[in-house]
Parts: sequence; structure tokens; C-alpha cells
Amino acid sequence: MVKAVSEDAPSSAQDSMKEEHPAAGRGATPKLSVRGLNFYYGPRQVLFDVTVAIQEKRITALIGPSGCGKSTFLRTLNRMFETMSHTRAEGEVLLDGEDIFKMDVVRLRRRVGMVFQKSNPFAKSIFDNVAYGPRVNRLARRRNELQELVEQSLRRAALWDEVKDHLHKSAYSLSGGQQQRLCIARALAVGPEVLLLDEPCSALDPIATAKIEELLFNLKEICTIVIVTHNMQQAARISDDTGFFLMGKLIEFSPTEKLFKTPARKETEDYITGRFG
Amino acid sequence: MATTATEICAPDRRARRGSLLRRRLFDLVGWGSSALALLLLGGAMLWILGVVFLRGLSALSPTILTHVTEGYGGGLLNAIEGTAVLALGGVVLAAVPGLAAGIYLAEFDAGRLAPFIRFLADVLVGVPSIVIGYFGYVTLVVDLGWKFSVAAGSIALAIISLPYICRTTEMALRQVPRALRESAYALGAGDARVVLGICLPTALPGILTGILLAVAISVGETAPLLYTAGWSNYLWTGHLTNEPIGYLTYAIWAFITEPFSSAHALAYAAALLVTLFVLIISILSRTILEGWRRRSPWERPAL
Repeated sequence: MVKAVSEDAPSSAQDSMKEEHPAAGRGATPKLSVRGLNFYYGPRQVLFDVTVAIQEKRITALIGPSGCGKSTFLRTLNRMFETMSHTRAEGEVLLDGEDIFKMDVVRLRRRVGMVFQKSNPFAKSIFDNVAYGPRVNRLARRRNELQELVEQSLRRAALWDEVKDHLHKSAYSLSGGQQQRLCIARALAVGPEVLLLDEPCSALDPIATAKIEELLFNLKEICTIVIVTHNMQQAARISDDTGFFLMGKLIEFSPTEKLFKTPARKETEDYITGRFG
Repeated sequence: MATTATEICAPDRRARRGSLLRRRLFDLVGWGSSALALLLLGGAMLWILGVVFLRGLSALSPTILTHVTEGYGGGLLNAIEGTAVLALGGVVLAAVPGLAAGIYLAEFDAGRLAPFIRFLADVLVGVPSIVIGYFGYVTLVVDLGWKFSVAAGSIALAIISLPYICRTTEMALRQVPRALRESAYALGAGDARVVLGICLPTALPGILTGILLAVAISVGETAPLLYTAGWSNYLWTGHLTNEPIGYLTYAIWAFITEPFSSAHALAYAAALLVTLFVLIISILSRTILEGWRRRSPWERPAL
């Protein structure tokens, strides 16, 4: 048997989770508040009644086995699922109290940026990659404003020192880890309030991963971060809150330390101790 | 011990020897038939190229490249110019609707229209080119009164290249990774910006290959031009209608059956020029695609 904690923990922890349940509110107004979210790919339902509150300027990690719906959940937060046909989301997602489904999608995505699993720079120079968002959204009026914005974004993504001398080289000349940091810089350049990351380190080696984790840690001072990860150590290392998804349901959502040390639910414990399936 | 070993092993060894023999035989048949197929195909190709090059090279002379046709002799300058004008005209006319249709199929494929358009494009590929020539003759040359002309010939070629440009554009766009589009959308770009600013430049080498293919097909077409472009011994004066124009494939078609060696020389030279041109285009498009594949960080299937 496992530790004694797990024997009596479930009921009490479940209660405490209910107390902390976002719908019930936890003092500060959440940055993102999701209530009763259901999601469908055609006739197949992949998210079931997800309710969660994501707090501002914290890192929230979403963990769970493949196909559990965590990436889908992430994609509803900036309505990225709408680029795929036959998808449907029901429920409520509020960004600073404003319904995202009623918002202009372009404005929403400017406020909620996204970084993807595989680094995917555009076939442009390093500079033009970062400048893409500001240009599209007309954020910089003058050329030197744009240059400042690009430099600031690259600095925030901890890439500036490595690329400052060849900003006009193709983005493809960078290494995998650098490309991923470039994608983070590109997302930061439009000044998002929330940054969604979908397994950003899954294709990177430990050193490149460490760099990204460090920069994410620094980034939470300027934006709210939601990261999907397969790597539980990563979730434990960098996040403040962690949500565990299983088969389309949000099983547990609590402060990271609590979730990993004293999980409230049996499924969570099985998953984080690797005794799953 | 030894006897029992042979008793047990002997049939086994014999069976093994049998299966080995069978495998060797199978191997031999496989290799043999592959070699034969290669010989047939490669031989036929070499034969064709050999004839075209040997006869063409011996017929090729500075006169052919610098003079216009005079009766059954002279040069092919008028035909070279005509082929260039017609092929270019055809591709320019086909490029805009072809690109537009390809973009629609790849990017805005939500409705029920897309399968229908794809079906139409496939049908268009299957229509015999002489039928398109006949169509051009009846509608453009006769009904509209354009006579044999650059306009009629270019439109006929455009109809032929349209489905190729459309389908290669669609395929090239489909190979643009979904994540690339999504990251542009994630930065607040609209549909037009994503398609024109991100997808098209990324897919450009593939699209370019399709356009080059269309040029190569146009250069090699004969039937649709016979009824729309006519033939002329003179250089083109720039009129779009009411002025017939020469082209290389006509020179092959018409002059090879004439009983004059000067006419044969024109046909051989024209065949060489057309073949060379198509060869250069296919090498060019392969180089473009190859460079593209090497430079891009993601994997792409061959086009």
C-alpha cells in the first residue's frame, strides 16, 4: 500500500478542493474562468463539464495521458479549435470576466497567445518572425518602435544574445531549442496577457528544455501561463497550479505542491506515481 | 550418435537446400524481370532521345534559330517565338484562376463545392486535347470571329493547364504544416493574411513546380493549337486576334511528312527544341523542389 495519507486523504482533499473550486471563487478574480465546458469533435465528446479558474500571473500546468483532452482544452482558451471543421464548444469561458465566445476572435488571440508543440517559425528572417504579430496588429508606428519591440521580445524569450548579430538570417538556421524560443518571442511580441503552451519542450533536449523552463518562470511576472506537458517533473518544477485531465474530465485542480504531494483523487495518485493503465 | 544425427538432420538439410533453391530461383526471376522491364523502358526512352538528339543536332544550325520559315526551308524563329508567346499566354491566363481554385480547395474546403471542383478538374485533365482544340475552334475562332490567333491558342492552352495548376497548388498548400497556420492565427492574423502571407510563400516552390509543369505541357501541346492558332511563316506582329501564329509542334507535325529534306530538317530541329525545353523545365522544377525540401525544417512528402 501507499502512504497512509492517501488512505484518508481523498475525502478531505476532495472537500478542500471543492472549497477552492474556482466556481466558488478563491478571493482574487481569476484571469480565465471556465465553467461547464463541453467539447465535441463531430459527434464525439472529448471534454466533459470542465470547470476551472486560472489565476493571473501564475503558471498553470495541465497534465494527463495522451488523448485526455488537455490540448483540446488549451485550444478552446483562444478558440484555436475553430480552425478545424466539425468542432463545437459549449459552456462558458471568461477572460477577465468577458465571454471569449462573444469576443472578436482576432482580438482574443492577441490577448491569449499560443506556442505549439513543434517549433514552427515562418519561412522568414528571425526579425520578421518576431515582427509578424506587431505588423499584423499594427502595434508599432515607427520602424524603431518595431525594432525595440522585437528586441524586447527576444530578450524576454532569452534569445537576444544568441541572435542579435544575425537578425536577418532565416529562422530555419536556428537550432530546435532556439526555434522554439523564437516562437515564444513571436508570441510575446503582441503583448499577450495569457500565453498558452502546448507541450513546448517535447521535441527538445534537457538543456534546451531547461532554458525554456527558466524563461517561463521569468515570464510569469508579465503574463499568465498555461502549459500542457507530458513531463510530470516539468509540471512539478515550474508550475504553481496543476490540473489533471483524464478521459476528457478535469479530475483534479490544485496548487502544484498539493497535487503532487497529497493528491485528492485516486486517479491522480495513480497517474503521478506511474501506476496507470 | 552420428547415425541418429544424420537421420534427424538429413531430411531437414535437404528441405533447407530445397527452400534455398526456391529462394534463389525466385530471386533470379525477380531480378531478371526487373532488369528486363528497366531495359525495355530505359531502352525505349534512350532510343527516343537518341533519335531526337542525333537528328535534331545534325539539323540544327544558326539559320534555324535566326530565320523564319520560308516554304519548306528557312528557320524556326517564328515557331520558337510563337511557342513562347502561346505557352506564356496560356499559363498567365490559367495561373490566376488555377491558383484561386487551388487556394479555395486547400484553405476554404468547408462546403460541398470542393469535391465537385476537384471532380471537374479531373474531368478536364481527361478531356482529349483535340476536343479542346475543336471547342476553341467552334467558339473562339468561328463564333467570336477571332480567326486563328494568339488569343484563341492561349485560351485553349489555358484550359489544358488549368487543372494542373489548380491541383498542384492545392497539394502544395496542403503540405504547409497546420501548426504554421495556427501560429499565424494565434498572433491575430486573419484568413487573408494567413493564406497570402504565410501559406502561399511557404508553398511557393510547390506552386511554382505546378506552373512550370503547365508551361511544359503547353509547349508540348499540338492538337488544341492546330484549330486555334493556325500557322504562320512570319514573326508575330502583336495582334491578339485575326493573326495566326507559328509554333514548334506544328513544324514537327506538318513538315515530317513532306517529301523534302529541308522540311525534315525543320521537323527534327523543332523536335529537339521542344524536347530540350521540356527537359530543362523538369530539371529546373526538380531542383527547386529539392532545395525546398532540404531547407525546410519539417518533412514533406514528395510532390
